[in-house]
Amino acid sequence: MSSYLTGRSNPETDDAEETGTEPKSSVAKRPVTIHRPVKHRVEAFTVISYIGVSFFAILCLIPFWMIFVGSFTAESKLAISGYSLWPSPFSLQAYQLLFSGTTLLDGYIATLFITIVGTALSLTTTASLSWVIARRMPGISRPLTIFAYLPMLFTGGLVPLYLLVTEVLGLENSWFSVILPIMMAPFLVFVAVAFFRQLPEEILESARLDGAGEARIFFRIVLPLSKPILAVLGLFYAVTYWNEWFTALLFISDPTKYPLQLILQNLIADVENAAQIPSGGAAMAVAPVYQLRLAMTVVTVAPVLLAYPFAQRFFVKGLTLGATKG
Amino acid sequence: MTSANGAVSKAERQRKRASRRAARRGSWVLLLLAAPGVIWFAVFCYLPLAGLVVAFKNFSVSQGIFGSPWDGLQNFKFFLASGEAPTIVLNTLFLNTLFLAGSLLTGLVLALMLNEIRLTLFKRVAQSIAFFPYFVSPIVISIILQVILAGVNGQGGALNNLLSVFDLPQVSWYTTPGPWPWILTVVKMWQLGGYTSVIFLAAITSISEELYEAGAIDGASRFRMARSITTPLLTPTLGILIVLGVGRIFFADFATIFAIVGDNGTLFPTTDVIDTYVFRALRTQGDFGTTAAIGLFQSVVGFIFVTVAVIVQRRFNKESSIL
Repeated sequence: MSSYLTGRSNPETDDAEETGTEPKSSVAKRPVTIHRPVKHRVEAFTVISYIGVSFFAILCLIPFWMIFVGSFTAESKLAISGYSLWPSPFSLQAYQLLFSGTTLLDGYIATLFITIVGTALSLTTTASLSWVIARRMPGISRPLTIFAYLPMLFTGGLVPLYLLVTEVLGLENSWFSVILPIMMAPFLVFVAVAFFRQLPEEILESARLDGAGEARIFFRIVLPLSKPILAVLGLFYAVTYWNEWFTALLFISDPTKYPLQLILQNLIADVENAAQIPSGGAAMAVAPVYQLRLAMTVVTVAPVLLAYPFAQRFFVKGLTLGATKG
Repeated sequence: MTSANGAVSKAERQRKRASRRAARRGSWVLLLLAAPGVIWFAVFCYLPLAGLVVAFKNFSVSQGIFGSPWDGLQNFKFFLASGEAPTIVLNTLFLNTLFLAGSLLTGLVLALMLNEIRLTLFKRVAQSIAFFPYFVSPIVISIILQVILAGVNGQGGALNNLLSVFDLPQVSWYTTPGPWPWILTVVKMWQLGGYTSVIFLAAITSISEELYEAGAIDGASRFRMARSITTPLLTPTLGILIVLGVGRIFFADFATIFAIVGDNGTLFPTTDVIDTYVFRALRTQGDFGTTAAIGLFQSVVGFIFVTVAVIVQRRFNKESSIL
């Protein structure tokens, strides 16, 4: 009964907050209009804030710009004067090399498979498990919460995972060895639970009275109402899969199955040696190693960067939901 | 609560009975929905715990996990006797403390500054840009660091170019272990600053506008308000983030550190952490027993940290408990 009550009162207060934003913001605006005539001076802290925020944003952008420019700069120039902010001897050599071989295509196929299949699996399992937890079923939801929470506290570590994937499941050199170990994120399960618990109980209740079963309620009512949170979860999972390389490093040894990140990692793996033996760079004159590395970085980051402006508001929303409810 | 009069309570009772019936009918559907997730957690989170018996065995692949002979605490002794244990444990704690302090401070300052900005478009764009490094993979971060620190063939790194402008001596960063804890901290500040600021900003929006009105009437400057109103009211959020961080303090950020340092042994004295050590031991020596023992040791100590952190946090602030 008490859980039923809280389940009902939650969406009510949240609704009140949501609908209350308009009057609240007008209240918030009022003091500004009152104080503006009184305080005309520009505050030092406001100026510092604009400068500070701009500075941080530029710091976040410059590295990507340098990599982008470097990938179009001839290796000979890179070797003499290092990286610059403008590609002076413009060169497409690295990109020509990248697009002429099959490595890049293989990498994209692997990464796309891992990202798409992985995100679909993650989304399905996370949403359905979270819904069951959020339903507050007596004797089921509480144990499930603990069941999903404990792995955040206690993990088996690297060795048991390695043995599980290679010896027990035999997934070596399969893309599923990259997907499965990171398929569910407990944190995102709890973000989804927090969202599901905000759904208005009245709608579910009336559906139940109309004779809808649990399956119909979940697929026909809950999921369509939860599109925003599904977008959040999907994007978080997709980025995780896109960036994942450690499980690939552990379990994938066939170079034709390397995802993009692992190809990139192989390209940089020798830089420590290069740094320790500066004279050993003679062999590098053959292929534009450094330029290639930067071009590879560009093609790896570009899809994320291009999708980011459209997706970022979902990330902020998901993080806010998780932070305030978690 | 709504049962003020009989009619409502009757309808309520009817509704409840109907919903209870539906619940009974639908519970197997719900179990079916939960099944894939439950199976995943069982296989990938709980089954590996059973695999930790390897820590007490003289493991060989041919004999399998349960067929290998028992070895008592030999694996633990081997690790503790190797002489590397204190270094990697201290490195893990030191680096994680720096990372936590650095990213929280950056996030807090960034959130306070973003909160001052009234130009909505500027604020949104700046926030999006600051958040982006969070989505960059460790490998790409490693490349960025090489562009800045190493340059091409060990010369022409952006930072060294900057140093030469001021007539300062060049530094061969990838062969100098000393500054690396700080370099990695700057990386984490860059990577997590925007992410953390979003969490703080979410907390800031829940602060009552009346407090700022009162502050303005009292003639407080914007900086004074940020310092004396916003920051104190962010303490609970800060507390939660610190507790979460302390709970994970025994688990290093393997991906970032390994992607950046890799097998560069010169940097190990200051950058080798438990996770990278375990991975290297597994890969180069194939020593499953010892690495599993270290993993178990890490999990147990980490679990103690988490438990203590949660207990402290619960006592510290009951309402915003994370559990």
